[in-house]
Amino acid sequence: MEDSITFLHSSDWQLGMMRRFLGPDGQARWAQARLDAVMRIGDVAKATGAAFVVVTGDVFEHNQVERQTILRACEALKRIEVPVVLLPGNHDALEPGSLWTSAQWTGHAPSHVVVVTDTKPLEIVPGVEVVGAPWRSRRPLSDPAAPGYAELAPAPPGVKRILLAHGQLTSLSGGMSDVPTIDQAALEAAVNDGRLHYVGLGDRHSTTEVTERIWFSGTQEVTAPEETHPGNVLAVTLGEGTIEVEPHHVGAWHMVEHHAELDDEESIRALEDFFAELPEKERTYVRLAADGSLPLPLLSQLDAMVDAQGEVFASVERWAKFWTVRPAPDAADLDALQLSGPARAAMEELRQALAGGDETAGAALTLMHRLARDAG
Amino acid sequence: MRLHSLTLRNFRGVKDRTVELPAIGTTVVVGDNEVGKSSLVEAFALIFDYPDDSKSKRIIDIQPVGQDVAPEVTAQLTLGGRELTYTKRWLKNKATELTILEPDGRRQSWTGREAHNEAERLFNEHVDPVLWQTLMVSQGQSLVLPTPADAEPLITAVTAESGTPVDGASMPLVLAVEHEYLRYWTKGGRPTGDFAKSAKAVEAAELTAAQALKAMDEVVADIRRAERLALDLDELSSRLTDHLKTVEELRERKQATDEILLRRDSVRARAETARARLENHTRTRVERERLLAEVEKLTQTDAELAERRKDAETVAKKAAETVHAAEAALAEVIELRDERRGDLHVAERLVARLTDRAELDRLLVQQTELVDVRARIASAGLVLDGVKVDEALVAALEDARARVVEARAALAAGVPEVSVRRVGAEAVRLSGTGLDAGSAKVPDELEGEIQVLVSGELVIDVPGQIEVKVQAGGEAATLRSRLDEAVRLEQDLLKRGRVKDLAAARELLRKVDTVSAELQEARRTERSLTANGDPSERITLLCARLGVSSTGEEEEETKSAGKRQAPVEDVPGQMSLFSQFEEEEGTFDFEDLPALEGGELGAAERSLENARAELAVAERLLSDAEFAAAQARKAAEEDRSEAQQARARSELAEERLAAAVEALDAARAVLADENVDAEEEKATAEVEAVLEELTAVQAQADEVGADEAAGLLADALAVATRLQGERDVLRDSLRTTEGRLEQSGRDGLGTRRELAELELAAIRAEHEGLKRRADAARRVFDTLGRHRAEAQTKYSEPLQTRIESLGRSVYGPSFKVWLDDDLAVAERELDGKRLRVEALSTGAQEQLAIITRLAISHLVSTGDNSVPVIFDDALGWSDKGRLRDMGALLGRAGDHGQVIILTCMPERYEYVPRATFIKLES
Repeated sequence: MEDSITFLHSSDWQLGMMRRFLGPDGQARWAQARLDAVMRIGDVAKATGAAFVVVTGDVFEHNQVERQTILRACEALKRIEVPVVLLPGNHDALEPGSLWTSAQWTGHAPSHVVVVTDTKPLEIVPGVEVVGAPWRSRRPLSDPAAPGYAELAPAPPGVKRILLAHGQLTSLSGGMSDVPTIDQAALEAAVNDGRLHYVGLGDRHSTTEVTERIWFSGTQEVTAPEETHPGNVLAVTLGEGTIEVEPHHVGAWHMVEHHAELDDEESIRALEDFFAELPEKERTYVRLAADGSLPLPLLSQLDAMVDAQGEVFASVERWAKFWTVRPAPDAADLDALQLSGPARAAMEELRQALAGGDETAGAALTLMHRLARDAG
Repeated sequence: MRLHSLTLRNFRGVKDRTVELPAIGTTVVVGDNEVGKSSLVEAFALIFDYPDDSKSKRIIDIQPVGQDVAPEVTAQLTLGGRELTYTKRWLKNKATELTILEPDGRRQSWTGREAHNEAERLFNEHVDPVLWQTLMVSQGQSLVLPTPADAEPLITAVTAESGTPVDGASMPLVLAVEHEYLRYWTKGGRPTGDFAKSAKAVEAAELTAAQALKAMDEVVADIRRAERLALDLDELSSRLTDHLKTVEELRERKQATDEILLRRDSVRARAETARARLENHTRTRVERERLLAEVEKLTQTDAELAERRKDAETVAKKAAETVHAAEAALAEVIELRDERRGDLHVAERLVARLTDRAELDRLLVQQTELVDVRARIASAGLVLDGVKVDEALVAALEDARARVVEARAALAAGVPEVSVRRVGAEAVRLSGTGLDAGSAKVPDELEGEIQVLVSGELVIDVPGQIEVKVQAGGEAATLRSRLDEAVRLEQDLLKRGRVKDLAAARELLRKVDTVSAELQEARRTERSLTANGDPSERITLLCARLGVSSTGEEEEETKSAGKRQAPVEDVPGQMSLFSQFEEEEGTFDFEDLPALEGGELGAAERSLENARAELAVAERLLSDAEFAAAQARKAAEEDRSEAQQARARSELAEERLAAAVEALDAARAVLADENVDAEEEKATAEVEAVLEELTAVQAQADEVGADEAAGLLADALAVATRLQGERDVLRDSLRTTEGRLEQSGRDGLGTRRELAELELAAIRAEHEGLKRRADAARRVFDTLGRHRAEAQTKYSEPLQTRIESLGRSVYGPSFKVWLDDDLAVAERELDGKRLRVEALSTGAQEQLAIITRLAISHLVSTGDNSVPVIFDDALGWSDKGRLRDMGALLGRAGDHGQVIILTCMPERYEYVPRATFIKLES
């Protein structure tokens, strides 16, 4: 395909993003991983022979990121050897005080990087026009993609036109978006009438094919367990009437959500197995939900096991909202401690309180059990 | 364990003593200090603790000082149902012997070390050391409250009785729970350690996050502001551009109309000039008319005022003459009044002098009487001063006389009376001592006959013939002495009264009464004469007023002082009257002062009344003359003032007329009267012409709208200026906001906020974890503590009940105690007042300690491991009332076991019922 052109489509780098569940150490490593993924995009560009790279919004987490984040982003961009077109999104809108107009950016941005600041078509390479609809405010009043193509005539013959836009599609948002969404039908019409040959979208972190020529690239590195296909960059090849889109995985982290039913020793072993089977533990965050009830010794065992896994993984978070594992002490537990007199009576009182629905009694009971076991 | 007997030999100060103790009941062992009461307790301890070969200092110390003897102890006791006889001797001939009589009657014996070991084994097996130490109270320890928690027999007893076993096995858990609790909470329940630190860290992180959030909110607000400003700026710039086009159009229109407006302005200026000139001429005409009228009016006024002035001056002159005549009449009346006043003065002085003279005569008579009375007082005083006799002296003299008569009668009865009569011619001489011939004197040579009482010796000598001696015997001397004493006493009294005998004294006393009555009367008279003061002072005053001197007074005073023996006519106040005094009328001698004639004073007073009447007439005349003169003066003053005013008004009118004439002349010099109207008419014509021209130009300007064009341009320019100003303000605001935003971008405020929130979330999570653990620790601590407290209460109940039961027999039904974890009494309540035991009095503490021990003894008495209660000297702090109750208690305690009391003060225990008293002799 001599007339074809290949470029890379990425979005939602959100450099400078923070995740509280990772803790300080995990946060630092994950932030670096997001830059590493950008650098790997450069490798993919080289490998695929991409002529340029487009990033459809939310390059930065917000306009007030610290200087270090901007400078490191510039360094990462230097690792991409082809032109790079960046589109301001809702996170880094081209609003007053935007980082795109700041001296920190303009003073350090590599020369092969272009920021889309208006809707004029840009010939990024001969025969390829890139038009963008940059966000000028975090609260647009209408379809954020429309300004990019509304007044365009069909592309001249031999010219391939790519629209860069950012926002949720009306069809995918489920009516939950609190900002105006992108009119998918209008986009498809523009594609069908030859005004656009490819629409690169950003904002959705999972790689999503909307139509053959309309894609969300997804984020280069996972940001939440809910994301289905994160960590990709799309290699798009446009030919005369043809298109080929191929995802390349550049992310290194995993974010996993797991729900466990814990009622006996076997279920705890199953949870241990789950942890054991997860790869790249140091780059994996696990959000753990659990319910059930356990005898006091098993509860202590569970606590110890989860604490230990927290040291191995990047982070293991007990999902407080869905963590309902309760102690279920039975008479045998208490007998095993060989307590008598007031100690036995106290423990029995706590046990009954727990049985009566007093949640705080559970923690007290567990503690007393542990202390009695250690003291014994 | 029961102790039956103890035998001590060569033990400290005890040579050999056996004390038998009843197996049950209360025994009081009485002995003075140093007789070895405490040695009994010590011996019992040593026999079980030290083998016979011990070289312990305690063993060496029990050997009597300076005696090389072997201390020896034998104890008989029941231990675990066996009866033991245990003997031990130390230091010399060391020996240990143990004999045991088993309950089944078997008897076993040991000697030496085996005996010691067996005895020790049995003791340890059946005597709990804590209980033994608890119930054996050494000297000086009676105040210490027992802490018997570790006494095994007690634990067994309370456990059996309460049904609650002691929970010693849980102690490690209790300590672990407490340790865990103290990791998070202070004993007072406040957060501590990492928990407290994390709470503070959360607060700090919240503050930091809030600050970061606030900074970001400001950034967002700035972004919104900048967006608004940019929109506003665009809109304003657009409006400004449109408006500047309008300004340009207006400016072109105005240039076209400016020429007409210039011409109109020129005509307007000329019209103003012409109008000013006309006004000037009109003013000149009006002023001229006013000046002419004024001169005419002032001339007429001046003539009228000159006439009035002349009339007024004539009236004033006449009034002045009237005043002069009135003042001359007034001077005459004043002279008459002064003359009458002089007459009155002369009459008043004459009346006063005659009044004084009359009073002086009266006082001189009064003074003469006073002199006489005072002479009588002085004379009576002299008489009374010389008399030494009073009623007491006369009574004493009467007694003395009676004693003399009595003594003399006794003498006559008790001594020989010798009657001697000379019958021959020969001289008969009488001599001797103690002779008494009555009132007659015993002559040396007898002439006739004489009776003589002989109380001494009488010698009758007829020279050459015979000498007879009569010698008195018996009590003659004593009788004689009594008579002499009575006579001497009488003589002393007569001498004191300066009288010859009793009759003289009585006479003199009667005279004194008479003189005293006279003296009283004279003093009453003197008081009445001097009731209004001494007349001499008033006389002196009157003399001075009348001009009469009394220079002889001082001389008379001197004489009276030197003549107290003859107070006759020399009386104070007696004076020589000098007769000279000066008056205005002249000088005259007092001697020449005529005696007052009857009616002279009355005539003088009538003259005085006449003089006063004449003076009153003169003063009325004077008052009338003064009124007339004042009236004349007032009228003259008014007339004179009127004349002056008329003159002033006339002069003022002349001045004003002259000024008006001068002004009129000056105006005429500028413009003659006949030209004034012509000039005004000329100026009026000129104004009308210019106004006509101005109307024509204005019509032309109105036609092309010249005035509106200028206004519209000015308004448009003002609007343009305002819009430009607004645009500049917006632009500046936008630049400022953008500058702030750029700075916030440089500062990385968003990252800071996220970092702060990240930090806060981490710290909160840590704190939540700590809080869960802390709450759990507290829950466990509280729950366990509550159960332990309940168990403790139940566990200690048997002992508490015993103590309260015993204590109520001493203190009454309100007595309560609370025990702590060691089963020691911690607090006591009496009559509703609860106190820590440390706060109790010494006596109460000692009583409580004894009661507690008896309660423990009672509680363990049913078991095999009971021990005797031994008090070595107690109840030293209790008053007598408590001693009675405590004694009763100690007596009852003997019903349940063996109570042994060692004391040197048996009276403390005299109320112990059924006690066995054992006296240790020294």
